[in-house]
Amino acid sequence: MKAPAITGVPGVASVTNVTKRLVGRKDSVLARKTIRESLVSVAGLIGRPVRDTDGRDIGHLVDIVVRHSADTYPPVSGLIIKVEKRKSFINGARISSLTQDEIRLSTTKINLEDFKRREGESLLDADVLDHQIVDVDGLRVVRSSDLYLAPLDKEIRVVGVDISFRSLVRRLFPGALSRRPTPEHVIDWATVASLADGSGVVRTSSSRSKLSQLRPADLADLIEDLEGREQEAFIEMLEPELAADALEEMEDDELQGLLRGLPAERSASLLEKMEPDESAEILRDLTDDHRESIFQEMDTKVARELRKLVSFDEKLAGGIMTTHLLITVETDTVAHALKLLVDNRERDISDGVVVVDSRGRLLDHIQVVELVAAKPTATLATLIGAPFPTAVTPETKLEEVIEEFGNNRGSSIIVIDEKKKPVGRILADDLVDALADESGYRGTSQGNGVLS
Amino acid sequence: MTVKVDTTKKIRIGAFLAVMGPGIIAGLSDDDPAGITTYSQLGAQFAYRMLWTLVISTFALILFQDLGARIGVVTRQGLIGLVRQKYGARAGLLAVVSLVLANLGTMTAEFAGIATAGQLFGFSKYLTVPIAAVLVSFLVLRSSFARVEKVFFALSAVFFAYVIAGFMSHPHWGTALHGMVTPSMPLTHDAVYIATATLGTTLAPWGLAFIQSYAVDKRLTRDDLKLLRVDVWTGSLLTGVIGFFVIVTCAATLNAHGTTNITDAAQAAAALKPLAGTLAKDLFAVGLIGAALLAASILPLSTAYSITDLMGRPSGVDDKLEEAPLFYATFGILTVVAAVLILIPGAPLITILIITQILNAVLLLPLLLYMYGIAKDKRLMGEFAASRNMRGIYLAIITIVGVCVSAMLWFTFF
Repeated sequence: MKAPAITGVPGVASVTNVTKRLVGRKDSVLARKTIRESLVSVAGLIGRPVRDTDGRDIGHLVDIVVRHSADTYPPVSGLIIKVEKRKSFINGARISSLTQDEIRLSTTKINLEDFKRREGESLLDADVLDHQIVDVDGLRVVRSSDLYLAPLDKEIRVVGVDISFRSLVRRLFPGALSRRPTPEHVIDWATVASLADGSGVVRTSSSRSKLSQLRPADLADLIEDLEGREQEAFIEMLEPELAADALEEMEDDELQGLLRGLPAERSASLLEKMEPDESAEILRDLTDDHRESIFQEMDTKVARELRKLVSFDEKLAGGIMTTHLLITVETDTVAHALKLLVDNRERDISDGVVVVDSRGRLLDHIQVVELVAAKPTATLATLIGAPFPTAVTPETKLEEVIEEFGNNRGSSIIVIDEKKKPVGRILADDLVDALADESGYRGTSQGNGVLS
Repeated sequence: MTVKVDTTKKIRIGAFLAVMGPGIIAGLSDDDPAGITTYSQLGAQFAYRMLWTLVISTFALILFQDLGARIGVVTRQGLIGLVRQKYGARAGLLAVVSLVLANLGTMTAEFAGIATAGQLFGFSKYLTVPIAAVLVSFLVLRSSFARVEKVFFALSAVFFAYVIAGFMSHPHWGTALHGMVTPSMPLTHDAVYIATATLGTTLAPWGLAFIQSYAVDKRLTRDDLKLLRVDVWTGSLLTGVIGFFVIVTCAATLNAHGTTNITDAAQAAAALKPLAGTLAKDLFAVGLIGAALLAASILPLSTAYSITDLMGRPSGVDDKLEEAPLFYATFGILTVVAAVLILIPGAPLITILIITQILNAVLLLPLLLYMYGIAKDKRLMGEFAASRNMRGIYLAIITIVGVCVSAMLWFTFF
């Protein structure tokens, strides 16, 4: 489809990202010998003693708190330990050494505070370990079998994640056997997207920018494979434009299921960003109440437009058209039209502009090629001429639209209202979608088939 | 998709049917060959006296199926994945091993039911069991499954015949009522065994995992929960009602005429004689085949779903073989191993039918405890977390299962 939007990822240009991804393995911090040799297994560390400077036991480790920031590798910001029967929080700054067998603190006097979840922090055992994560390089959803800590840039950070079955089995063994790190199965934290977090989202900038490199269809597959909170967190993590693109690629029933799980507000903002005809198709299949609750949350202008689209029958031109049009007046210049095209380059419709007269009536559809060949200062009126686009009304039957398409290969069809004002366009892919729906080509059953 | 105006109604009914189903299917599949045999044995051996075990089992079934549905809808995760997430790797593995063993046992029982029914018609198990195994795999892995499922469903509904047979056999209703509300049992090996098997066959582990994964897989929401609960309650009550009539019929016919231990299917089928006369055997056999095929087509799917859920993401029949090797391997192994166990020459079919249900009860314990832990977790369940009173009731049921299993083990080893 279109180039993915990468706005909002500061300082990261798409080209350097691709290069980074290609050399990912060599670039990885795990390639550094010092780090490989100092890996500490989180699964093995949980339950180990926490001691003071003098080596006296204070308690046992319950969980590790990490802070999410712009850094690729989240630093440890604190520990949750169990002292007698009470769970307490210890600031990460107090850690003097952290090995596979114990944690030493840099003090003998400890202030035990009650732990409260804070925004932007997550617990490695409770939120990440054994939860679903996205392996961005492998394009699949897996559960993390173990996580690894190592000192990096003056802090102890999560550097690796283990998704292997063998490491899961290792954790079943008793005693020290279960704690021994198995670094041969570790992959770089930067190549996964971890989703579980008390506050909803783990913002790992690197996996985020990696995700923006994926094709929307691949993202759609990943979304479909995730469950529950992880699914929502993943969508939350994507750039809105990219999320909308991915949603367009999802199976209709999977998408409906997803929207039923999301708050109406969130569904509304995603549907607003999708192509109107795609949004309308999904909205049409929702229950009346659900659809209405989503409309309530939308921008009123967009909602009005979508309401109209939804009301059209799917067997008529109005039901399959997209309402995104680049409309220009005949007195506009070629340069103006080109700028309009560039500004909307992410849309499906950027193959040309629709030209209308001063009263808004359809005159012509001018292709990009014609515009490029013309003088920038010329008015669009000078370019009007055959071949003229085919115009249909929203009430035109699907069969007739297909016939018109057959007669006018290569050009799209403009939908006009009774005053001859253009209201939409029908592109080849809209027709393919409509026909696929009609022939039942797309699966109609929902779910994986636990019970078909 | 069709014209919008016409579909509104269709969609509503469709949605209703889609939601009205899993609970009833799980319920009817609880009245599978193992269930019918266990209930028959209970009635033949102890007449009306131990009906109360069915009452408790049905009550437990309603509550835990309801809980499974709720967990599925609220967390939108399968049971096994959720256990691994909340309790770690060891717990996840313990849960999945329990579930797989219980399901293997029940799958074996389904094939035992097929073999038994085949024998009533005069066919060898070496013919009927392989055919059933191939048939079930073929149907499930092909998309035509949904339609065939309804046929199995209809066949297994033959067991409603017990309701009529129950009335025709003129049972002692008063004694039956007394047996339902007065917990008493002889403290013997046989009584403890059959009580445990009744719990295990009614509150089957696979049903709990199934109802939860169904809710997740079909992406049912909190809005659907009401309908789903109606369905689950209906299905569970249906299990209890059919079970009640099986026990009562067997008490009034078999037990009253001196048959106090069922050793083959023909004896069990004789309970239907007041209704069907000489056709009793055929009626019984048809019901066995339907119920066995219905359960045998869901069991391997549900098991494979759970195993893949432990490893990463749950798979289903929509995934291709190369996408989900673990899914298909589980499916295949479960079916083949269960069929081969039944084909061992001289395998005691009726004993297998009941023993597997005792195994179910044992393996229920860890699963119920995990479900209890999830139910009270406010972070996972939010406003749907179990209240103090409900927690007490769940714990009471778990205790009963625990006592039954301990007593059963005590009678086995001492």
